Amino acid sequence: MTAQDVKQQGVGASLLRKEDDRLLRGRGQFVADIRLAGMKDVAFVRSPLAHARVNGVHVPDALRERVVIAEDLKDVKPIRAVSGLAGFKPSDQPILAFEKVRQVGELLAMCVADTRAEAEDMIEAVDLDLEELPAVHDMLAARKPGSALLHEEWGDNVFLETFVDINFEAALDAPIKVTREISTARQSMAPMEGRGTVAVWDKRMEQLVLYTGSQMPHIVRTGLAECLGLGQHQVRIVSPDVGGGFGYKGILLPEDICLGWYAMRCGHPVRWIEDRREHLTAGANCREHHYIITGYADRDGKLLGVDCEATVDSGAYSSYPFSACLEAAQVASILPGPYDFPSYRCRTWSVATNKCPILPYRGVARTGVCYAIELVMDAIARETGLEPHEVRLKNLVGPEQMPFDNITKKHFDSGDYPEALRRAMAAIDLPALRARQNEGEPDGRLIGIGQAIYCEQGAHGTSVYAGWGIPMVPGHEQATARMTPDGGLELRVGVHSHGQSMETTLPQIAHEILGIDVSRIKLVHGDTEYTPYSTGSWGSRCAVMAGGAVATASREIAKLAKGIGAHLLQAKPDQVELVDGRVVGPSGSVSLQEIAHTWYRLPQNLPDGVDPRGLEATIGHKPVRDSGTFSYAAHVAVVAVDPEMGDIEILDYVIVEDGGKLINPMVVDGQIYGGLAQGIGTALYEEMNFDASGQPLASTFADYLLPGPTEVPAPRLDHMETLAPYTEFGVKGIGEGGAIAPPAAIGNAVNDALKGLGVELTQTPMTPRRVLEAIGKAASGKAGASADMTAQGELA
Amino acid sequence: MKPVNFDYARPKDVAGVLPLIADDSRTVKIMAGGQSLGPMLNMRLVQPDLVVDITGIEELRQVVETPDAIVMGGCITHADIEDRRVPDMTRGALPAVAGGIAYRAVRNRGTIGGSITHADPSADWISILSALGATVTLRGPGGSRSVAVEDYMLGALEADLRPGEMLVSVSVPKLSVSARWGYYKSCRKTGEFAHAIGAFLVDPERGVSRAVFGATESRPIVIADARQLLGEGTATEPGRDFDSRLAGELVEAGGMSDPIDRQTHVVALRRAIQQAGSA
Amino acid sequence: MSMIHLTINGKPVDAACEPRTHLADFLRETNNLTGTHLGCEHGVCGACTILVDGVPTRSCITFAAACEGASVTTVEGLDDDDITSELRTAFSREHGLQCGYCTPGMLVSARDVVLRMDAPSEHDIRVAMSGNLCRCTGYVGIVRAIQGVIADRRARGIAAVAGGGRTRLGPAGSGNASTAKEAAGASKAAAVAAVKPAGQPRTAARKDDNWKPQTTFEQSFTVAHPTDVVWDFFGRVDEVAACLPGASLNGAPEGGPGGDEHVEGQIKVKVGPISAEFHGAADITRDEATRTGVIDGTGKDKRSNSATRGQIRYAVKEAETPGETRVDVAIGFTLSGVLAQFSRSGLVQDVANRLIGVFVQNLEARLAHQAGGGDADSAPVAAEFNAGSLMSSVIVGQVKQFFARLFRRG
Repeated sequence: MTAQDVKQQGVGASLLRKEDDRLLRGRGQFVADIRLAGMKDVAFVRSPLAHARVNGVHVPDALRERVVIAEDLKDVKPIRAVSGLAGFKPSDQPILAFEKVRQVGELLAMCVADTRAEAEDMIEAVDLDLEELPAVHDMLAARKPGSALLHEEWGDNVFLETFVDINFEAALDAPIKVTREISTARQSMAPMEGRGTVAVWDKRMEQLVLYTGSQMPHIVRTGLAECLGLGQHQVRIVSPDVGGGFGYKGILLPEDICLGWYAMRCGHPVRWIEDRREHLTAGANCREHHYIITGYADRDGKLLGVDCEATVDSGAYSSYPFSACLEAAQVASILPGPYDFPSYRCRTWSVATNKCPILPYRGVARTGVCYAIELVMDAIARETGLEPHEVRLKNLVGPEQMPFDNITKKHFDSGDYPEALRRAMAAIDLPALRARQNEGEPDGRLIGIGQAIYCEQGAHGTSVYAGWGIPMVPGHEQATARMTPDGGLELRVGVHSHGQSMETTLPQIAHEILGIDVSRIKLVHGDTEYTPYSTGSWGSRCAVMAGGAVATASREIAKLAKGIGAHLLQAKPDQVELVDGRVVGPSGSVSLQEIAHTWYRLPQNLPDGVDPRGLEATIGHKPVRDSGTFSYAAHVAVVAVDPEMGDIEILDYVIVEDGGKLINPMVVDGQIYGGLAQGIGTALYEEMNFDASGQPLASTFADYLLPGPTEVPAPRLDHMETLAPYTEFGVKGIGEGGAIAPPAAIGNAVNDALKGLGVELTQTPMTPRRVLEAIGKAASGKAGASADMTAQGELA
Repeated sequence: MKPVNFDYARPKDVAGVLPLIADDSRTVKIMAGGQSLGPMLNMRLVQPDLVVDITGIEELRQVVETPDAIVMGGCITHADIEDRRVPDMTRGALPAVAGGIAYRAVRNRGTIGGSITHADPSADWISILSALGATVTLRGPGGSRSVAVEDYMLGALEADLRPGEMLVSVSVPKLSVSARWGYYKSCRKTGEFAHAIGAFLVDPERGVSRAVFGATESRPIVIADARQLLGEGTATEPGRDFDSRLAGELVEAGGMSDPIDRQTHVVALRRAIQQAGSA
Repeated sequence: MSMIHLTINGKPVDAACEPRTHLADFLRETNNLTGTHLGCEHGVCGACTILVDGVPTRSCITFAAACEGASVTTVEGLDDDDITSELRTAFSREHGLQCGYCTPGMLVSARDVVLRMDAPSEHDIRVAMSGNLCRCTGYVGIVRAIQGVIADRRARGIAAVAGGGRTRLGPAGSGNASTAKEAAGASKAAAVAAVKPAGQPRTAARKDDNWKPQTTFEQSFTVAHPTDVVWDFFGRVDEVAACLPGASLNGAPEGGPGGDEHVEGQIKVKVGPISAEFHGAADITRDEATRTGVIDGTGKDKRSNSATRGQIRYAVKEAETPGETRVDVAIGFTLSGVLAQFSRSGLVQDVANRLIGVFVQNLEARLAHQAGGGDADSAPVAAEFNAGSLMSSVIVGQVKQFFARLFRRG
């Protein structure tokens, strides 16, 4: 190992991933791969109706032993995720529904059999007596008086209403005023692996062991123990390899509780593996936003104010731990984004409907917010006759203003937003594209250019979350670093990697400080028994928080090792330094391996006064200021729209991202590529429709379209690396950003392409049908009465 | 998503299948490649008592060439056609369309006979085979009969099979050297169900000019003499004088009430015809 | 259960298996080869793609029994495969995997692309890989990895193999078995399906004034018979039910005659291979004064965990021609549960609409027949609903009319 090799493994190195080998050989271990002796399979009886009174769940006597129903769970507490925000109305999510069901797919009974197929056979034998109630499927109608009610005791369907007014009156005289109604569809996160749980009672440890694909094993432990009335020492959560999360696996599931309860009583392990139909019909839980938003500006495109009414469909219950208001309540504070303007008003509603409870999906709330504000910025550009990027450049916070507290007191830590946009625009050659646009395409398609810029607040700290008062508030993130007797290193963290490459990147951080070869650094994670408490992996926080904790703990190891090394070198601690894995003193050096060997195997060689902590440290980390890191990016899309078929093709896509210091640039690029693919899904393909009785209208991937290789372009990436001022190495969280801007950038590009037809789309996904409907509507608006669409299309 | 329990039979010949499917005391389902039936079984949309696997039958995996047609057994796969393990006599039409059906792994098992019998309106074979004037041969207790592909499909998911009958082969006419074809399908993503299909064949030597609107949510709309759609009917540049208004009226008469559906189907056919013109 | 025989990763395997067990479950649960992942179990996502007789196959929609005698290779069996080894290196180099769940299926499909396609463009590769979904990587690294391996192999003089070397016709995995076979599913007596559902409470149709159907269908027609007779006809529930294709009643109506009635029964609907039998009840309310009636029905199909709810409203009044009666019928329905949960609702709606169309036709025919002196039993009604034949007749009729119009015009 040369010094050069060592440097190639530290912070900033595009090191190949340690987790790849097992995954590429099919030797990963996901929940469904776990094999325990005597394990039985579970299938759930789920509600076919969105809203109904449960008059009875009848189980044949012969099956009663193997079917769990609500009355069995009398002593189990419902799931309750309360927010401390004023006026929040809590909901109780039953583990198995009794009294009422409030969404299609809600659990009514659990069937246990030798195989999943047999458990599904049992479902047919359970007779449901459900009395259908009017379903609440439209969040706007649900807000109105007279709507059917999900939680009758509330008197309405609103979990939470918020209102903020900052000098709004001042904007009213603005010469330019654009109002848009904007909405994003409900989506399924659709990780390739669904959820799954294996539960078993460990007799020796007197502990319920639950293997579940989770982004936050410690939070699941806390919530599960509370519902089941167990001490937390009686619960161990193991999250093995996780096949993608994106927020979907950041939740305490009623299924977890049901399996846990049963495993404590039945004497054998039980397993539930969510199938794709369950995922799609019972788990479409994100992104459904509606905005009525007005931008006020002067004739030069300077933004003077924003007024917004935002409604978020929160589904039937408040999910643990993020609560039902996480999206809507955030909307008000993040809508202004990186724009500097003086007047603002925003009212938000988190509305209960007969759909599954909302969860935070990659880019939580920001994807919808970015779509709303960025469409308005383009509308202002059209109104003023300016190029959209010119309008943005007039309003973006400048680098000289950093750090900058925006109108909602978000603390922008660093960065040069205008530069990101300028670079992205330079990459596409706008004048050439405008010329091409004017000339027209030979195939009759219409091309358009769109852009979007956003900020991604990552690593939210205590000060951010305490105000929400939800069951989970992050504090100091902890890591354990422990040298092994052979000179290797174990890192233990409470966050969990489900594709983020932390088995590679966190060792890179330890390597940066200790110089130990990454191949000898083992990340231990995904097991509450072995790791420090953590709120888990969410909100672009792992690199900053767990990374910071690993750095802090590694420094402590360095200090401890130097103490032992100094003794071995017969020097004073302040005379030695740690260089490339060796403690170097005035008269020689000793390797970390020798130091570890001495500590563990030859303690007789150490003096009595040696630091008894040895070579192990658990230490917490919090950034100097915990209001979050602000990474950001400018996205520019060039699209071609087929006005006859409504198809949209992405011709070019440029992203200029500032993620601060990149621990592993290859991994960061991967996060952006993946986020972009999901953002394209939001923009063009993914949509879970519900009919008026609350039935979800997609139960397969033939109905719910995920972008495939031909739907996602290879984007061009460019990085700026403005170091974050408050974090270790200047790292910023970037895990979600790729998914935030695409609907806005693509939406603006489509509208740019169609502007000659007088068409502006303000709804995602922009399906061929929506494109054609909008073209037809604009055309008939021009042509007057009921135009023949066929003829219109042919003329277009 | 696991199927209900069913019994399974794999007869060695067609004669072994007929008595099994004639038994109407239980629900019997024939399975070829299972690429459409498999998902429906997994989702329990189909709950048979007996599945009869016909992929072990040698006759159904054979191809016979006659003077004017290629006759493929019902269990010939999309990949067999795509890879030209089945000789192509359609000037590339069948291999090209085969290569666009779903995904390669599906094409390695999915069969031509299974696809048209499943009668999904959005599937490719129904449309292109209707354009080419292909026929199917059915065998049942009363012997064999042949039916044009477009007549075989009665509607969404419904084929014209009499009790106890099964599809044994598909016969595709050989095209003349001057024949040209076009096929255009509109999908939101690669491999997805088509939302509109246009298929076109002009074979002047045989006096054939056929056009098909496919993916209609029902059976395809076949225009047996497509010259009326092409202005003067000259095959030299068939896309140029396409009569969109007439085409729109034809699909409307075919039961398509939604104006956007009409538009996309008309455009799909126009593009198919243009493709043939530029081929 | 029956024994099946396969060669898995080069080793012969004999194991018991139900006919309903798909190949992926057979590999994962019976043979503990968990590298093959299940992502959708309906053949779209590609996570379960494996090699069967050397070519990529969806193991989630291929039944193990149908592959008797075949050679199966999973990702675990590709450790020493040349192409796959090169792909593994390239996937790692290009960061072509994150969570790793789609990876085994992705490698199998990628291997096929490398093997078969000589000099594909980036777009060709994307099209060829479109049957494998990845939710993490945006496909950038995957496509680059495949491009790299192809370029490298071609540079080393290794050519593509057309068709992946397959010469046999027919579905991958078929045609290996030497003999015909019959196998029974797991002893059905022991299966749970045989257990009778728990006590059936009396079903109520549950009237609800606020209920609005998803789909409605209205039709009016006139019959040449006095209003009293037609009104009486609608009072005989069994006769009305007989007009609904596939419907039958369990015994005589309760309550009434003339007053409110309750009936129980079922309706069978068959669409291609899908069949549903909705069991349920209907409540009938009649208002003598206005000569209007409402039939509210609900039904459940146990097997598909689906339900339907419908309402038939009718009004009977004198037509303009004396002695004739005008009948207004409005039918609405809503479908819920598994059968409702598809985006291609056009198909379901289409079938339902046609079913209702036949109902009205039958109603009209039966009324006319009786009005003409025929007895109820010999009335000409379509007894069973057949989606296909109806559709064709309706459409053929429309097309014929159209051509008639066209040629007159021309």
